[in-house]
Amino acid sequence: MSLLELSGLTAAYGAVAALSGLDLAVEEGEIVTLLGANGAGKSTTLRCISGLLPPTGGEIRFAGAAIAGLSAERVVRLGIAHVPEGRRIFPGLTVRENILLGASNRRIARAALRRDADEMFALFPDLARFADTLGWMLSGGQQQMVALARGLMARPRLLLLDEPSLGLAPLIVQQVFRIIARIRETGTTVLLVEQNARLALAIADRGYVLETGRLVVAGKPDALWNNEDVRAAYLGGKRLSEESGAR
Amino acid sequence: MAIILQLLFTGLGIGAVYALVALGFVLIYRATNVVNFAQGQFAMLGGYCMVITTVDLGLPYWLGVVISLVVMALFGALFNLGVYYPLRHRSFLPVVISTIGASILITNLVLAIYGPEPTTLPGMTDYPGISFGAVFLDAQYLVIIATTLALVILQYIFFEHTMVGKKMQAVSQDKEMASLLGINVTGMIMLTFTYSAVLGGIAGILVAPILFVSVGLGAQIALKAFAASIIGGFGDVPGAIVGGLLIGVAETLGAFYISVPYKDAFAFILLFAFLLIRPQGIFGEKIAQKA
Amino acid sequence: MKNAAGFLLWLLALVIAVAFALILPINGYLMNLLMQASTYAIAVLGMTVVLGYAGQINIAQAAFFGIGAYGVAIGTTTLGMAFFAALALGAVVALGFGIVLGGSTLKLGGHYLAMVTISFQEIVTLVLTNWIGVSHGPDGISNIPRPHLGFLALDQSRHYLALCLFFLFVTAGLVAWLKSSRLGLSMQAVRDNELAAGVAGIDTYRIKIIAFAASACLGGLGGGLFAGAFRYISPDQFAFDDSVVLLTMALLGGVDAAIGAVIGTALLILLPEWLRFLKQFYLAVYGLAVILIMVFMPQGIFGYFARLFRRAPDLPRGEVAPLTLGASAGTGRPILEISGLSKHFGGLRAVDEVDLAIESGSVHALIGPNGSGKTTTLNLLSGIYRPTAGRIRLGGRDVAGLAPHLLAAAGIGRTFQNIRLFHSLTAFENVLIGSFRVGSGEHDAQSRRERALAALDFVGMAARAPVLVSSLPYGHQRLVEIARALAANPTLLLLDEPAAGLNLTEKQNLVALLRRLRGHGLTILLIEHDMDLVEQISDRITVLNFGRRIADGTPAEVLRHPDVVAAYLGEVAEDVTA
Repeated sequence: MSLLELSGLTAAYGAVAALSGLDLAVEEGEIVTLLGANGAGKSTTLRCISGLLPPTGGEIRFAGAAIAGLSAERVVRLGIAHVPEGRRIFPGLTVRENILLGASNRRIARAALRRDADEMFALFPDLARFADTLGWMLSGGQQQMVALARGLMARPRLLLLDEPSLGLAPLIVQQVFRIIARIRETGTTVLLVEQNARLALAIADRGYVLETGRLVVAGKPDALWNNEDVRAAYLGGKRLSEESGAR
Repeated sequence: MAIILQLLFTGLGIGAVYALVALGFVLIYRATNVVNFAQGQFAMLGGYCMVITTVDLGLPYWLGVVISLVVMALFGALFNLGVYYPLRHRSFLPVVISTIGASILITNLVLAIYGPEPTTLPGMTDYPGISFGAVFLDAQYLVIIATTLALVILQYIFFEHTMVGKKMQAVSQDKEMASLLGINVTGMIMLTFTYSAVLGGIAGILVAPILFVSVGLGAQIALKAFAASIIGGFGDVPGAIVGGLLIGVAETLGAFYISVPYKDAFAFILLFAFLLIRPQGIFGEKIAQKA
Repeated sequence: MKNAAGFLLWLLALVIAVAFALILPINGYLMNLLMQASTYAIAVLGMTVVLGYAGQINIAQAAFFGIGAYGVAIGTTTLGMAFFAALALGAVVALGFGIVLGGSTLKLGGHYLAMVTISFQEIVTLVLTNWIGVSHGPDGISNIPRPHLGFLALDQSRHYLALCLFFLFVTAGLVAWLKSSRLGLSMQAVRDNELAAGVAGIDTYRIKIIAFAASACLGGLGGGLFAGAFRYISPDQFAFDDSVVLLTMALLGGVDAAIGAVIGTALLILLPEWLRFLKQFYLAVYGLAVILIMVFMPQGIFGYFARLFRRAPDLPRGEVAPLTLGASAGTGRPILEISGLSKHFGGLRAVDEVDLAIESGSVHALIGPNGSGKTTTLNLLSGIYRPTAGRIRLGGRDVAGLAPHLLAAAGIGRTFQNIRLFHSLTAFENVLIGSFRVGSGEHDAQSRRERALAALDFVGMAARAPVLVSSLPYGHQRLVEIARALAANPTLLLLDEPAAGLNLTEKQNLVALLRRLRGHGLTILLIEHDMDLVEQISDRITVLNFGRRIADGTPAEVLRHPDVVAAYLGEVAEDVTA
């Protein structure tokens, strides 16, 4: 049994279809990446899983249980943490407070909560210096670290990461990805949405490529990296007219 | 000199009441982005609860306070369910109009049941007050200032040093993210309304012995509190307190030195002055336009 | 044709109502109710304009009503003016207060306006009560005379009621006509989407002030007539509660239609008479009604029924003329030159010293990863943001930092990433608003309507012209948004991700549309993530990353540029897994 299984998932924003029948599976301990251009449905997939967007059809099974349509509050209690696009750090709270709130899904004693937070500061040593800085004063890279730490405070079995490299300088992006690789070593499964295909494929075990709400191709990183469809999804090169001619 | 000190004291006392109502109003705004135009009616209801329990039913003063605050807490929850919750996904205008509707409903319900005659409520203590030379510190004003100070400190501790306080702040800053972390957003908003209603109720209980308890009490206080929160910087907690005190002092001084009949106008003149010169208020950020 | 029929119907109703007032035996009590209803309704029509059309709140209508009433009372009794002169005086004073209040507050958010109007209401009540030398204080003013019309004295109530009904019909007719006029459509555009209204060339601040001042003026007019009707007024008739009653009347009847105002007023004047058993509870029931209307029937009674039989808009008939687009002078010369353009948000450099030149008649694509500053650049070009530094020259003129409507007037049109249409209007009305731009080339109402239809036809949506945009499918909404920009006849069209959310067929149609636009010589700056589309139609591409320009050139050059490939597919990931 896979840890996460999507079958025939459909979703829409109002009248606009965002996902049309997506099948996907994530095994325990894997890093799986979802690739595709803007508007392909990657973020929508994560939003459906974490309960922000109720799907219009299909199934989501987590550790065997059907979770489609549950509220975000309930999903995170089951062990799925979602670190959304744009970090979404609480701007008026300090780094420490942001991180402490990450454990809101667990019933936990104050002392244990402090201990968990200290663990995060050990995992992200750069953050310790900023523990009492307000969220809005951080740089993008620091915010991403806080977002990851906050996500990990939920002690998730499955971590959903949406565009962790967004707007970050290359050097910072590499740091972030090293941490993602480390997170997997702690036994947390990761579903990673990323525009930076090269980096994502470098740390992933498997990848899926979406286009307009559909699965185009799935496979191992090497195969995907050399696949024309993948490159086309990002940089073009495949004529619209040709594709329609084939239909 | 003594006169000015005396007026300052009185102004701070009445200003503290405005600050309490403004505070409730700012908390709801921060949690829900809704301007609650019925906040003043919370104060009016608090005053009437006291009259009913202590004067009509003859209960001890402390018991009256306890019962009034419990009633206000329940009322805040009910208000959330009836006025805000059904409209939570709608734009600003329908919700504002709905709270205006609620303020009319509350005012006129009380009017219908209790009539237009103002009632008096005795002060919290029989002790008249303290004299410092020519300055007389009235006991009820002292109670008001002390209670407000205590509440501000308690609220500070609650928001800065408890996890529930942090969760409430998180909800006011980003509801979706808060729900992703497992924070009960609906519950936190419910708590905000409950607490704001209690704050309003306390303001009403405090001010009732000074002003008469009447149906007009709510609107009278609410308008000053609105002005206070704009002057302080809309949505800013310290701003609401400073704004409230400022208005209290301004209208007390204005009434003494300029005109008694126009006492209630000074708050609004101050408000217009701020809107023209510094619309972001004392502590407010520059109002930014967002695409 | 339809307008003419409507006008005749309105005239007939006016004559019948006035005749009934003059002929029917009406007892004194009913007479008072009818006079109250007709004068209130005029003030409620003011609410229709400000709240219904322009979406701005006004909780001081009773204050404006009172100003008008005192204008007549003081004007006729103290100053010895003629009735109609005093009526005009009251309305003008109310208008003046409306301009001052609106002008000081309408740049700020909506709740400021709510609070300022409530405060104004309180001040007016205070002044009326305490300025005894002028207002006679709480005692009020009595013996207010009624007017003469030439030889005809309107002393009798039935005559005066006829006069009130005449004013009501004229006001209602004007307010109803306003809704589909240029000014009224602009108000509704501001209400539906202020940002898009500005970019479409509407001076949103000015429109809001006009709406607010017009509402105040109608309040004053109604109040002036009210003073003559009852011949006695006092401050307590114009208090906060009465503002709330006027607000409720507008909401109950249906806030965005003149008929709604009349229905709401009539109901709430008559209702207390029917609901006498409620006795002292009836104002409480008002409050409850307001909440219930907001929750269950936000469009009000008339709005609720109007949905059932919506009348089709009056579209231009006959052949649709081909759309003319003012081809820019001299293809090949730069029409837009940006140099050193920067926008910082705190420490974030969203756009950082970007240079860009767009040749007249070309399709220029602006691409880059998420968060690279593309949309911010467009927001700077359309005036939504003010640049931190840098120059923007459009056709040789420096336009950096101008307000959106001024940039629209200078010739910049745009669409938005997440479509911004005026959702309660039809496709035709949306596009018509675009044609209002000064410089659209159309100077009269008829030619603007023809241009709007031509623009819809150009994008293939003429058949959907009478449909409400909110009921159109997503792809069609995108086309309507483009048509709205085209109707303004822009010299430079900015498109923000026009292909986002479109399916393959729709994308192909979009490519064809963009090619046709280029064929007409229109200059286009395009943000797009679909690289197939970009490659197919762009003459030139500029690539941004982290707010900086990293490449600029022809599609062939740019899409193979190593920095661009790295920006899109990622840097070489040497030691990530190590």
